[in-house]
Amino acid sequence: MQPASVNARKEQSTEAGVEWRLPRTEGPFSESDNAQPRPNRNGPDLSPPRPWSLAFRASRRYDSVRGLGRTRPKKLTAKASIPIVHEHQIDVIDDELQSTLQQIETGVEKAEESEFHLQVAINATAQGKVNAAHIPTPETILSNLQYDELYPPLFSQPATYIRFSSTVEDCCGCPYNMTEEDDVFLKIFNQKCGGSGRCTEDDFEATMNFFEETAHAKQPYAAVDSPPVLAFADMEEAMDATVEDNVKHFAKHIYEHWKSRRAVTGNRSLEPNLKFETGQDTDDSDPYVCFRRREVRQIRKTRGRDAQSTEKLRRLRKELEDSRQLVAFVRQREVARNEMVSMDQRLFRQRSEVKDMKRKLNIKDDDEDLINQKPKKKSQPDVPSRQPTAPQIRMPLKAGLQGAEDLQLLEDVQAEKESEIMRDIKMNIAKHIKWNEGYVDHTRAPLSPAVEKTFDEATFRHAITAQLPTPPSSNASDAMDTSPDVTSPLAARDKLARRAVDLHEEPSRMPSFRRRVGRGGRLMIDRRNVAASRVEMDPLKADRFKFDQEDSDEDMSYDTDGFSIQLMQHRAITMAKAREQAAVAAHAQAQAQAQAAPSRFPRVIQDSFGNPIPPAGNAGNPTAATSSEG
Amino acid sequence: MGVRDSHGEATGTPDPVEKGFATLNTIRIGVKAMVQKDGELRKAEILSIRQRKDGPSFYVHYVDFNKRLDEWVASSRIDLTQEVEWPQPEKTDKKKAASTNKAPSKNPKQQRVGADSREQSGTPDALGGKNMNVGKASRPSKAGGKENQDIPTPGDIFGSEAVSADGTPRAGDSEDVEMTDAQDEKIPNEDEVKTVSGEVITREEEIERLRTSGSMTQNPTEIHRVRNLTRLQMGKFDVEPWYFSPYPDSFSDVDLVYIDEFCLSYFDNKRAFERHRAKCTLVHPPGNEIYRDEHISFFEVDGRRQRTWCRNLCLLSKLFLDHKTLYYDVDPFLFYCMCTRDETGCHLVGYFSKEKDSAEGYNLACILTLPQYQRRGFGRLLISFSYELSKREGKLGSPEKPLSDLGLLGYRQYWRETLVELLMEPNREAMSENELAVLTAMTEKDVHETLVVFNMLRYHKGNWVIVLTDYVVSEHNKRLQKEKVKGARKIDPTLLQWKPPVFTASSRTWNW
Repeated sequence: MQPASVNARKEQSTEAGVEWRLPRTEGPFSESDNAQPRPNRNGPDLSPPRPWSLAFRASRRYDSVRGLGRTRPKKLTAKASIPIVHEHQIDVIDDELQSTLQQIETGVEKAEESEFHLQVAINATAQGKVNAAHIPTPETILSNLQYDELYPPLFSQPATYIRFSSTVEDCCGCPYNMTEEDDVFLKIFNQKCGGSGRCTEDDFEATMNFFEETAHAKQPYAAVDSPPVLAFADMEEAMDATVEDNVKHFAKHIYEHWKSRRAVTGNRSLEPNLKFETGQDTDDSDPYVCFRRREVRQIRKTRGRDAQSTEKLRRLRKELEDSRQLVAFVRQREVARNEMVSMDQRLFRQRSEVKDMKRKLNIKDDDEDLINQKPKKKSQPDVPSRQPTAPQIRMPLKAGLQGAEDLQLLEDVQAEKESEIMRDIKMNIAKHIKWNEGYVDHTRAPLSPAVEKTFDEATFRHAITAQLPTPPSSNASDAMDTSPDVTSPLAARDKLARRAVDLHEEPSRMPSFRRRVGRGGRLMIDRRNVAASRVEMDPLKADRFKFDQEDSDEDMSYDTDGFSIQLMQHRAITMAKAREQAAVAAHAQAQAQAQAAPSRFPRVIQDSFGNPIPPAGNAGNPTAATSSEG
Repeated sequence: MGVRDSHGEATGTPDPVEKGFATLNTIRIGVKAMVQKDGELRKAEILSIRQRKDGPSFYVHYVDFNKRLDEWVASSRIDLTQEVEWPQPEKTDKKKAASTNKAPSKNPKQQRVGADSREQSGTPDALGGKNMNVGKASRPSKAGGKENQDIPTPGDIFGSEAVSADGTPRAGDSEDVEMTDAQDEKIPNEDEVKTVSGEVITREEEIERLRTSGSMTQNPTEIHRVRNLTRLQMGKFDVEPWYFSPYPDSFSDVDLVYIDEFCLSYFDNKRAFERHRAKCTLVHPPGNEIYRDEHISFFEVDGRRQRTWCRNLCLLSKLFLDHKTLYYDVDPFLFYCMCTRDETGCHLVGYFSKEKDSAEGYNLACILTLPQYQRRGFGRLLISFSYELSKREGKLGSPEKPLSDLGLLGYRQYWRETLVELLMEPNREAMSENELAVLTAMTEKDVHETLVVFNMLRYHKGNWVIVLTDYVVSEHNKRLQKEKVKGARKIDPTLLQWKPPVFTASSRTWNW
């Protein structure tokens, strides 16, 4: 290796010189990265610099053959697109490339690279003889094991991909497995015990496992300091509620067996175990010690983090203890329940016996104490009668009360939360109002300016003024009092206008008209607010008409409120007028029709014919340019 | 290269090798003799000797054969009519040399060389008191299972290999010597050399490397150890182990070790194994199924969550992987297990492990097809699957080195086939190495080297070209035909239900 790499370095330097002097004639692949230092192939870093080695050797060849290399191969970059050709498309050239083969790392351990079979295989593939590329391995043969008995065909594949998180320990049941030795013992033991107290294999294994685990827990360093085998007294000590009854029952019988087996192995675990690190010096050199823990990176300690982790640990411990407690309680409850059930059963049996006795002895009474349900019913009323005073109901109550000092009721908490939320909302509203103080929202204005603003309202006459030269006499008692003497429509107008103001809260909503003279002397009547008399439509209904383009009046129906003050007034006025001005009755009638009609037509343009409005039209200065609705 | 100069005459080392005729009684550990192997005589080194009723048997390593072919041979197979090479006993000198030559060996390069020459560094002891014939290098008997520890045979320390190929003494001569110095005080007497043998420094380095890189491969000191298990019963097969694996040391005493096919638990007692089978409910690797086609399934098993299972798996695979080390625990790895299915369950066929977070960008740490399923194309599927995962991750990946011999052949074949398949696609006229890498999830380096190895990258008339050689084309066509007949066994990416798992720094560091 060494000499080769020395050579390589020489080449490198000479080549670098060449490179420096020679103009690059070849095309597309620029060699801008030529100047960068080549990684030293001699160093511990064995990853070969990718394409250089090849470039190099080829270059040397060309250099030597044709003098200083005009044809020195271009450097091959990873991004460079390389044409793909078949072998017959190019001239067969060098066998020298074969030598570059040696430059490619196999990735196999150096000392093994030269192994006989591997070399044979590599050379075989290089020469295209795949079948020779065979590395012999020790044989495997079919086992004579009773596979079907040991591996029952129980697997059924689910339709979906399997998801599974149980561990080996979860799936293997009791970790202790019986050996032939145990079989012998168990057989003898069961023969001695006779039929009743037989120990099953599972019980036996559970017991042995209990011994093993206890020994491991109490003598964790047994493998190192070889203490005597744990005494049975210690075993009994370790029996807590979690140990099954069967185990407790068989423990003393099996203990001696376990002890003798333990003694044979030098108080080592009976199950063969892997060797883990023991913290001794010999660990490192012992090939059997495996699966050491990896050292974890130290993170920087701060007081805060310390406190944090202490708190975390404390909480964790508390939670674990709590849950353990809970489980213990549940167990207690279930045990009690079990007791109760068996008690009930006993009671039932005894009662049925009593019943039989009674029958036998021919005792006749109401049998209430005999029948199961009835005595129970009887005793139950007893219990309830006691209950109000007796512990059963009060106990939880008391418990609740005792706890009440600390315990908050759900409703309280909820109410408090609610009020808090409300307070929050209010605060937020106040805040927003404060923020919005003095804020003028110019964007609220409609994009196209409101129609009303575009024309001079003064040019419009209110409809009433024009129509009511005289007030109605009949029903309008006081309101119309003043009007009879008003003959001049102009004089009356102001008064009525005032009234109108009374009638309509907003004067602008009063129907009004103006007259304009259009081109060619046409007279036009513009009107406003006629629709205002319309009743506010149900928004739903209004929506229905929103996009209704229907124009013909036959089909149109309008929702009008027949009892709206405006309309009633209007009707009254017209009727009064009809009565009073009989002469112009027909005319006025027609006009009133025309008056009512506008409410139906969004826009009426009429050529002037006998228009009653002229005074108003004159007074208003028709600006004419803008129409009222446009 | 000068690497393989270990056996003196092979490389023409000037070092004199002590030769002579031996008898069965004088053969001892470290002796190299000619041994019958498959009808021919091969030179083999005696690594261990044990006494049987019918005479001694010898554990031999055939020179230049892979260790998986090491075996116990009866004395009749050793050809004593030829001279044997004696190991060279020069213990005292060695020690002196050790103390003087300490310093230079700190050079990492030399240590690497030292690792290369590890073959000489240690020779396993014979089995305890049973070996009567062991010479100086023997050790008093010890409890079972301990006998496999390496002992530096003195001759080897100064032996032939301290000289490089071209015959000049290496600068690093010292490293082999140095390896013993650290344990000088531990040696009670000359005959009882304690285990750590040579490579104290190398080993520390090794451990340091393991610690920092999280790798689970290669531990030189464990390399020349006598196999500890004789035979393995697993599923429907009896399997011969290839290498040492740290199963409980008592297992080396039994003839057959039982492995549960599903939970991979191990038993040295048939009755216990049967009892276990009666209780065990596992029918597939204990993880999530992430791939399923009509033949195989893949399960992803987290080394931390399924520690026992993954440890069992590692113990098992160590039997067949020389450079795997079980020095550290399985936590930082994910195990992708390939199974075939039948009515009894999902049978493990092979697996590969993958670092949860590989600093070096490896997409695979260890890969193994169980021997009973080898040579059926499963290895190719495993490799292909590892690249499928890399594609899903959007990364380019490469297997961790060193590769084993079988690994190298398997990978080269896969690389070649994958690249050729791409290059043969119709209307491909040019491709860059980068494009190839991106399409295959192979690293550019692997792409380049594969092209070079198969002589497909050539310089032609002033331009680089990728040559589809007749060889690769015919191989490709052969494969296509085979697939037509047998049906193509391929990984179908659409059947992969997998997202790259994410592990936070703390979960990796603290196992949360």
